[in-house]
Amino acid sequence: MALLNDEIVRNVTEMLAGLTNNVRLVVFTTKNGCEYCKEIVQLAQEVAATSPKLTAEVYDFDTARDKAAAYNITMAPAMVIVGARDYGLRYYGIPSGHEFSTLLYGIQRASEGKPDLDPQTLSFLNGLTQPVNIQVFVTPTCPYCPRAAILAYDMAVASDKVIADVVESMEFPELANRFNVMGVPLSVINANSRVEGAAPPYMIVDAIKAALA
Amino acid sequence: MFEFTLSPEPTKAQISGGVYDVVIIGAGAAGLTTAIYTARDGLKTLILERESAGGLAATTEMIENYPGFPDGINGAELLERFRRQAERFGAEIIEFDEVVKVNPIKVGEIEVHTEGGQVYTGKTVVVATGSRPKKLNVPGEKEFYGRGVSYCATCDGPFFKDKNVVIIGAGNSGLQEGLQVLEYAKHVTFLEFLPYTRAERILQERVKNHPKSTLLFNQQVTAIQGDKTVTGVVAVDRETKAEHVYPADGVFIYVGYSPYSAFVADLVETNKWGYIITDEKMRTKVPGLYAIGDVRADNPAQLSVSVGDGAKAALAIRDFILELQG
Repeated sequence: MALLNDEIVRNVTEMLAGLTNNVRLVVFTTKNGCEYCKEIVQLAQEVAATSPKLTAEVYDFDTARDKAAAYNITMAPAMVIVGARDYGLRYYGIPSGHEFSTLLYGIQRASEGKPDLDPQTLSFLNGLTQPVNIQVFVTPTCPYCPRAAILAYDMAVASDKVIADVVESMEFPELANRFNVMGVPLSVINANSRVEGAAPPYMIVDAIKAALA
Repeated sequence: MFEFTLSPEPTKAQISGGVYDVVIIGAGAAGLTTAIYTARDGLKTLILERESAGGLAATTEMIENYPGFPDGINGAELLERFRRQAERFGAEIIEFDEVVKVNPIKVGEIEVHTEGGQVYTGKTVVVATGSRPKKLNVPGEKEFYGRGVSYCATCDGPFFKDKNVVIIGAGNSGLQEGLQVLEYAKHVTFLEFLPYTRAERILQERVKNHPKSTLLFNQQVTAIQGDKTVTGVVAVDRETKAEHVYPADGVFIYVGYSPYSAFVADLVETNKWGYIITDEKMRTKVPGLYAIGDVRADNPAQLSVSVGDGAKAALAIRDFILELQG
C-alpha cells in the first residue's frame, strides 16, 4: 500500500516540477533495530517517482561501509539529499508528519543549490573556516520544527563547511538522551552549543560563533 | 500509520510578487478563511506565516466542537484542508518568515516587512497572528525550557513516556493537552491557580476519571526545580499556605495566551492586554488594515469564531477594494 495518497502525490509532483538540477535521495538502512526502514525506503521511492529529476538509492549501512563513510553517515536510518554536489543535507529517521515538508524543502534547495538566507547570515557563513555540524532534533508532530530544520538546510547549502543533520528524536533516543532533548526543535552545534526553539538565523549564527570560540 | 503533512515553503521565485489586493499575516484558521474568500473572489491574495501554516488549532490533537465533524477531527488535518482550499483558489502562502513591521504608505498601499528582508505591498492587510502561550514567570521556567519545560504537548509529549508530568493550568488548553500527555506519561498532575476550572465539562470528566491523573485547585506555582533537567514543581496551596514539591520530569505550561500584536502596536488600538480593537467589520483605525481571530479583542479564542472573523474581514475587504477602484 502506498504511503502517499493520490492527492499528496499530485501536489508533490506539482511542487517538484520546477526542479533544476538532478537530486539523489541516498538512503541508508540497517537491520539493527530499525523500526521504519522499510517505510523510509518506500517513501524515498514514492517521492522520487514524482519527478524525472529525482532518484532514490538504497544502501545497507551495515555492509556498505565505504558508501556510508563517503557521506560521513555514522548511524542509520539516514537519508542524504544530494544535488549537483553533496551540500551536507541529512535526515535521520522517517520524515513523516510535519517533517515531510523538511524533506521536500531539502530536495528543492539541493536542486537549486542556492540558499534562501539574508545577506548578513550568508556573509558570516561564507567566512567560515572550520567545520560546523548542526544537529536539529525534531518530532513529526511538531509544527515549529520544520522552521529550524530548513534553516539548517539553508545554512548547509550556503557553506561547504556546514553539515545539517535533522534527527527524528523518537527514532534516536540514545542520541536525544545524550543531549538531554526534552523539547523540540533543538539545534545543537558541534555537540557543544544549543538553541532551543525555532530560532531566527542570527541566534544560530551566535551559537555557531560560541561553538567555534 | 504515518501522516504526511504537506506544507512546503514556496521559493520566492514561485511568488508572483507585485501589489497584492490582500496580504494576510498569519496562516491559522482566521487568516486561511479570509484567503479562501478573497482568493475565490478573484482578489490577489498572499499569506505570510512565521511558522508552518495551521496556527494554534493545528497543534490540537482532536477538535470535537467544530461543526461538520461528528466524530471529531485532528487539528492538523482540518487546517491542512483549510490551506488546500485557499490554495485551490490561488492564494499564495509563504511560511517560515516573520513579519516585523507594517507600514501604511497611503490609503490602498500598505507595506509589510519580514524578518527575511522581504517587503510585500498590499492594498489591504489583515493581522491574523493569533496569540502565543503566556509565560508563568517563575524561577526555573526559562532555565529549563527545552529541558523539561514545554508549551507544546503535541511536539514534546512523546519525550515523557512513563514519566511524571505536571501540567500548570487546568483550563481548556491545559486539560486537552494534558489528556494527550496522559497517553504517554506515568502520571500527570494538573495544578490550577483558581479554586475551580473554566474548562468544558467533558474535558473535566475525562481528566477526573483518568486513572493516571490528579487534578488540584488553588495551587500557586512558585518555582520549577531541576538539575540538568526538570525534577519538580513547587506550589503553595492558597488555602492552607502549605508548600509542596510535585516530582516531575516534564512541565507543560498552559496559563493562557497573549496576543501576537507587538509589531502593529504603534498603529492600532489595543486593549490593556494587547488585543487589537476592531469594529464589527474587523476594521482597525488604519484604513485597509484589519484584525481577525485570536489576536482581536473580545474574541473567545474558538475555531468557529476565528472562521467567522475571517469571513467578515473578507467581505469588508471586497467593499474596500471596490471603493478604491471608484
